Amino acid sequence: MALLQISEPGQTPEPHQRKRAVGIDLGTTNSLVATVRSGSAEAIEAEGDSVILPSAVHYSADGAVTVGAAARERAGADPYNTMLSIKRFMGRGIGDVKSFGEQLPYRFVQSADEATKGGMVAIETDSGPVNPVQVSAEILKVLAERGRAALGGELDGAVITVPAYFDDAQRQATKDAAQLAGLHVLRLLNEPTAAAVAYGLDQGEEGVIAVYDLGGGTFDISILRLSRGVFEVLSTGGDSALGGDDFDRAIAGWIADQAGLGTDHDVIAQRALLDRACVAKEALAERESVAVEYGDWHGVLDREGMAALLDPMIDKTLRACKRALRDAGVAAEEVKEVVLVGGSTRTLRVRERVESFFGRAPHADIDPDQVVAIGAALQADVLVGNKSSDDLLLLDVIPLSLGIETMGGLTEKLIARNTTIPVAKAQEFTTFKDGQTAMAIHVVQGERELVQDCRSLARFELRGIPPMTAGAAHIRVTFQVDADGLLSVTAMEKSSGVSADITVKPSYGLEDADITRMLQDSYTHAEEDVAARAVREARVEAERTLEALLVALQENGAELLDEGELNELEKAMEALRLAHNGGDADEIRRRIETLNDVSGPFAARRMDASIKRAMQGHTLDEFDQ
Amino acid sequence: MSEQRNYFEIFGLKPGFSVDREALAGRYRELQREFHPDKYAARSDREQRLALQYAARINEAYNTLREPVARAGYLLELAGVEISPEQTTADAEFLMQQMMLRERLEEVRSESDPGAALEALEAETSGLFSAEQEKFAQLFAGGELERAKDSLLKLQFLRKLQHQVEELEEDLLGDY
Repeated sequence: MALLQISEPGQTPEPHQRKRAVGIDLGTTNSLVATVRSGSAEAIEAEGDSVILPSAVHYSADGAVTVGAAARERAGADPYNTMLSIKRFMGRGIGDVKSFGEQLPYRFVQSADEATKGGMVAIETDSGPVNPVQVSAEILKVLAERGRAALGGELDGAVITVPAYFDDAQRQATKDAAQLAGLHVLRLLNEPTAAAVAYGLDQGEEGVIAVYDLGGGTFDISILRLSRGVFEVLSTGGDSALGGDDFDRAIAGWIADQAGLGTDHDVIAQRALLDRACVAKEALAERESVAVEYGDWHGVLDREGMAALLDPMIDKTLRACKRALRDAGVAAEEVKEVVLVGGSTRTLRVRERVESFFGRAPHADIDPDQVVAIGAALQADVLVGNKSSDDLLLLDVIPLSLGIETMGGLTEKLIARNTTIPVAKAQEFTTFKDGQTAMAIHVVQGERELVQDCRSLARFELRGIPPMTAGAAHIRVTFQVDADGLLSVTAMEKSSGVSADITVKPSYGLEDADITRMLQDSYTHAEEDVAARAVREARVEAERTLEALLVALQENGAELLDEGELNELEKAMEALRLAHNGGDADEIRRRIETLNDVSGPFAARRMDASIKRAMQGHTLDEFDQ
Repeated sequence: MSEQRNYFEIFGLKPGFSVDREALAGRYRELQREFHPDKYAARSDREQRLALQYAARINEAYNTLREPVARAGYLLELAGVEISPEQTTADAEFLMQQMMLRERLEEVRSESDPGAALEALEAETSGLFSAEQEKFAQLFAGGELERAKDSLLKLQFLRKLQHQVEELEEDLLGDY
């Protein structure tokens, strides 16, 4: 029984010990963290504080960083150094930020190396330039600390939510921020899917669910089919520039009009108008009418009057619902449950219109501010292995089509929007000239025909193509989108079997080197040093690797491996355990690599065994009868 | 791995044009329950990567089998019939009919009741598509592969027209 010896040293935690996992809603205005404790998911509050963490980060000249309510309070007095709504800048370039078309108080900068590649924006503060990934990481660090405090130890993993319409660059930026905050990301989860999970699991629903998510600045609609614990996203759509803030603007415009102000007023007057608009909007959720005043003007706004102002915008959201239903191949009558998410769904008129569109009263029993984090916590609990994964499976989709640039600045779609992920698509390319050894592929995301109307994701450069005559080399390029919705690209020359070397230039992202540098920068003001953190992270990785292998060996090691292979595996595991006990991060990483190589064939055999098992009872003969 | 297994084999189905959609969807969920990367979140990197590849292949198989035009194309591919994107049907009568349908589509906006005109066109296109599907099924089952290929080219035409009808519908909706 060689297997028993393997698990003896006990350097890794017991496989069945409960893991510490959290779900994080990293929001534009507010963020929160939730976890599953004694069977139910709940948001975690800071000591004596609320569960909500305002998504605000303040940077002082002395390098001190403040996060949350205390940071938001400084926005008025110190706008340049207080980052609000940073989520809107994730994975975005300076051109995008300018086109937001509103006055932003920030000093946007573009560092020298970023200028050459477009790059994500950075913001100048008194403690130096920061980019949106770093700012988001500060928020995530606070939430992770809440999680650690509540669960009593280092976190094993986190599920982080993103808007369904987030493109590849925005998703990657979110994942980078988590990495910077020292979190192990189990999955990026779409916010509407998370909301559906929060409702579906509580109530054991079956059938088609529509999730209507109207936030401050964005609208999202997702249509899902729930069948025995499988959430299959059928379609998703929305408008990334439509939300409750537009409601406020419409009402403010009405007040200005009624008060005879005209359209031209300064920033301070506009702020005052928006505040009054927001107060009136919220009051109308309780009352039939509300008194409004501005300067010498006094007036009344009733529900009907507000409905007339908001309806054009609500119409827009319902058109997106109609399109999503059609993409899903589902009629409005087939929708069994409608779930409301986002603070702006508190507006009564929105509820009325959604109800009449779908022909049924929407659900809003779970606090719309918490529902996303709660769903994320439920999935984190499953992914980390606490709950049997038979109970819950999410099949999500890619929100925007992926394509490549072809001749004449046109896009050729490779993967259509609403395709279930993970997905892979191979495309063959050939060389243009004799002896050509390199080529470039420009990947874009969006629905439009012209490259310039889509979002540039990255430029991939293939090198090391064997020199041949023009058109003789056949390069097979595989585009793969993983379960997080993130793209990766591999390439191989078919006749020679040579895999081409690919370098990626993300259009609005950060390269690995940037992340490493940011990680180092972040320690100039921190107690823990880089080396200590590297060792800690390598150890966690080593434990994860060893544990996964132990479980696998116990399952079918004896069945799939001969004695020689088993011995070799044992040796590699022992070497990793020794490295784990030492304090050299590089050595641990090397040993993990070796172990991964040695156990590679075992992993492949296990997969084949699973496939065989899955095929059993479904042989062709069964269908011949 | 099982790259060699064809899509029908992955789903345990006998290759053919007619597919039980419910059974297909049920089997799809069963397979993803087994191979989705989420099931491998706590496994080794290598196993996670393999699961990712296999789950992607299951998705590709499912998308091909549930969509009639893709399914028809895949059946012909399995049977060794090559179809290049430039190919088109030579059936003059069919092409004439297509031209007339497209003309009607272009005129929808100027009709007195564009909604009703579009609905009629949509119904007619759907009818033609269903009829052509049946034709393909018969030809393919009868081993008349060249004629089945011509039928597939027609299905592609009709599917494109259906998309154009949908796009116009969206435009009309956007106008109000």
